Amino acid sequence: MSAKAVRNPSAVAAAVYLGVSFLAAAAFAVLATLKGETSWPSRVIGAAWVFLLTTIVLMPVVIPWVRNRAEGR
Amino acid sequence: MSRVVLPVEGMSCASCVANVEAALQRLPGVHEVRVNLATEQATVEYDPSAVDVRTLQRAVEEIGYGLRSATAYLHITGMSCASCVENVRRALASLPGVLAASVNLSTETARVDYLPGAVTVREMVAAVREVGYGAEEKVEGAAALDREQEARRREIRRQRTNLLVATPLALLVMLGTFQPYGFLSRIVPEFLHNKLVLFLLTTPLVAGPGSQFFVHSFAGLRRGVTDMNLLYATGIGAAYLIAVVNTFWPEAGFGGPQATFYEAAALLTWFILLGRYLEAITRGRASEAIRRLMRLQPRRARVLRDGQEVEVSVDEVEVGDVLVVRPGDQIPVDGVVLEGYSAVDQSMITGESLPVEKKAGDEVIGGTLNRTGSFTFRATRVGRETALAQIIRLVEEAQTSKAPIQKLADFVAGRFIFWVHVLALLTFLFWYFVGYDLWFSPQTRLMLTPYALTGASAVGFAVLVSIAVLVISCPCAVGLATPAAMMAGTGKAAEYGILFRGADAVEALSKVQVVVFDKTGTLTQGLPSVTDVIPVGAADEQVLAWAAAAEKRSEHPLGEAVVRAAQERGLALPDPEEFQALPGRGVVARVDGHTVLLGNRVLMAEQGVALDELGLRAEELEAQGRTAMFVAVDGRAVGIVAVADTLRDTTPLAVRELRAMGVRVAMLTGDNRRTAQAIARQLGMDTVLAEVLPGEKAAEIKRLQDQGYRVAMVGDGINDAPALAQADVGIAMGAGTDVAKETGHVVLVRDDLLDVVAALQIARATMRLVRQNLFWAFAYNTAAIPLAFGILYPFLRQIVSPELAALLMATSSLSVTLNTQRMRGYVPPVRRRHRPAERARAEGAVAPAAAGR
Repeated sequence: MSAKAVRNPSAVAAAVYLGVSFLAAAAFAVLATLKGETSWPSRVIGAAWVFLLTTIVLMPVVIPWVRNRAEGR
Repeated sequence: MSRVVLPVEGMSCASCVANVEAALQRLPGVHEVRVNLATEQATVEYDPSAVDVRTLQRAVEEIGYGLRSATAYLHITGMSCASCVENVRRALASLPGVLAASVNLSTETARVDYLPGAVTVREMVAAVREVGYGAEEKVEGAAALDREQEARRREIRRQRTNLLVATPLALLVMLGTFQPYGFLSRIVPEFLHNKLVLFLLTTPLVAGPGSQFFVHSFAGLRRGVTDMNLLYATGIGAAYLIAVVNTFWPEAGFGGPQATFYEAAALLTWFILLGRYLEAITRGRASEAIRRLMRLQPRRARVLRDGQEVEVSVDEVEVGDVLVVRPGDQIPVDGVVLEGYSAVDQSMITGESLPVEKKAGDEVIGGTLNRTGSFTFRATRVGRETALAQIIRLVEEAQTSKAPIQKLADFVAGRFIFWVHVLALLTFLFWYFVGYDLWFSPQTRLMLTPYALTGASAVGFAVLVSIAVLVISCPCAVGLATPAAMMAGTGKAAEYGILFRGADAVEALSKVQVVVFDKTGTLTQGLPSVTDVIPVGAADEQVLAWAAAAEKRSEHPLGEAVVRAAQERGLALPDPEEFQALPGRGVVARVDGHTVLLGNRVLMAEQGVALDELGLRAEELEAQGRTAMFVAVDGRAVGIVAVADTLRDTTPLAVRELRAMGVRVAMLTGDNRRTAQAIARQLGMDTVLAEVLPGEKAAEIKRLQDQGYRVAMVGDGINDAPALAQADVGIAMGAGTDVAKETGHVVLVRDDLLDVVAALQIARATMRLVRQNLFWAFAYNTAAIPLAFGILYPFLRQIVSPELAALLMATSSLSVTLNTQRMRGYVPPVRRRHRPAERARAEGAVAPAAAGR
């Protein structure tokens, strides 16, 4: 990611952490189904929990990283 | 392109300007440099993506100039834990122009060293607000006290209100949840157990007092920072959502119809609120020392204007004003007594237990209490310059600074939250994909809850375990553990007139292995007197007269002692025609056309003077601890003048106490080895560093450090400054009313050597408290994380309930709070054992000590 490309760091950061979290949640749903999970509330709640925790883990890492790239540091 | 104005120090000519310009211009990214010698400023235009202000600073310093920095204090609100501290510190430190930033949770203060011109206080405030906290510049004096007290009261009130609202709701939720069990079924109405009722009771609790955690954590997350609030919010939010799901979709698999989890959300909120309330109280109490000192600042003064007594605000008093003080009055500012006589209680500043007599010519200290008589005095220091204001600043600075141990704790806690969430995620995945199938039993119970999780699905079970991990891992007491103890310790020290310049000084002093005392003026009273005059081929009065005439222009205490002795005997002392002081050796003077030498063996040897039997006589005197000075006239030895200084009353006791604490005690002196050893023997010193020239003191300290010792040096803050600076801890003694001028990491207001012992004892007690607090802050979490992870589940079929996790967390805060309070009643053992009167009796017969140059 070049410094010039980062015009709106907040939006770029949000796209990164939300995108990765969504992928993690989707991966959980797929793996849960493969494991034999049949209850849709379980799949949804499990995926939501994975999404939430992944987002919380990623936000403080991704936001400063994107911001630093934007500022050319 | 950015522009910064750097205040450069040390430039004296045009070539300095050229040097600074060249050094800055050489840096990549610097476009233009203009250095102004008159204003001592360098204006630099630079590309911030290629170079930063710190690099500019380094470039200037590398070529031998300095950048004048300033210090700002900000009052920060909204911090609750060590990671908040780290967030605020990082926000400040990232500003160009900020050299160092330290943040103290207990005092809610940020200290920022910065380059004026490169950054403003307003920008610092904005940076802190940007990461979600409140900030404003700290004000000083009475207004600061009022504002700070109000802010602390407001915070305690807010947390108390939260707790008061939460307590009945949490209690009702608890009773309702456990209504069917045991005796509760007889005394609690059945409708309370209804899930909808529990929903209606828990929702206002989570959305009301509990909302602060969601608001704070979301504000932080939006800016990419995490703090403890996030752990609380995830824990409470997840427990509450599970309970709502269980209420409206009981078959969703979160423990079945019996398990509601409203009690988990409610109790979790309540315990965290309790922790917050305890922390607010601890913060309020920890800064008590500052508040106590600030309360001493008088607000009104009686000034004589045109012969009339006028009552004015103390801010209006100016240097030179004549003030009137009556019995019972607080002395408004520092000054010198003009007329009158009184006894003044100075205990609040110096720790001196007995009132001190004051008569014309004596100094008085602002903030102290006049007891008996009335007097007038002339103001010599007002406002920020008074002793009290200096002491407050010193204590504040100490309390805002960080000990190395705290930096480590903050570093750990700052990264803890990230890893706790990673652990919670791994815990969830492990129990969902592996653990549930291997070990889950329908008989599973949550600790502290009576019902079984019969209907728990894999997701429900895994989410519950990961919530417990989140809540139990939260080291919320870590943020307070070290600063609260440091504040209690430095505040306690200030009560005894012992001022630590920083928390690092407390930590360093607690680890000291060797205490080195400068002899003259520290171990001794610094007022030597002549004990013997031994003539050879001349009358003893003639020998003394020569010696005194030679020393007449000397400012050395030994010289003054010789002159005083001659004057007491009424001897005529001609002015020397020439005079030269030779540090560490003596003096050479021309008196009435004769060359007079007065000094030690080295001087005599240098000048080729034969000592003959005088050498033996000198050795005898030195063996008695006296300083023998040879007198030679026109190259011939004519006698010896011996001088001794009196040890302070407390010297032997202080040495004994230090040795009893396992500390090696050393004496540093310019005396010859024999004299020094005689005194050292009397005192029981472990090490003697004798024949040390004034300029070599720092090197002697370094030599001890090179041997692996951590060294404290006790001396005069002005004359011994290099040695105090070289030592791991420099202790400046007898600062009196001008503490700010003293060098040294620890400043003792009084001239009492027992305060050195007390300082060491307080430092050790404080560090003990820090270690205990850190233990209590981390122990519960560290021990309970494996439990929360479910390590015992395969054997016990029980998992830690979120409310049990919260209880452990609150216990951790409570332990730190109670442990810190113990410091309030602490009295250094040396002060408990030796009251002044007993001390005087104990040290009644003290032998004289030699006086050395």
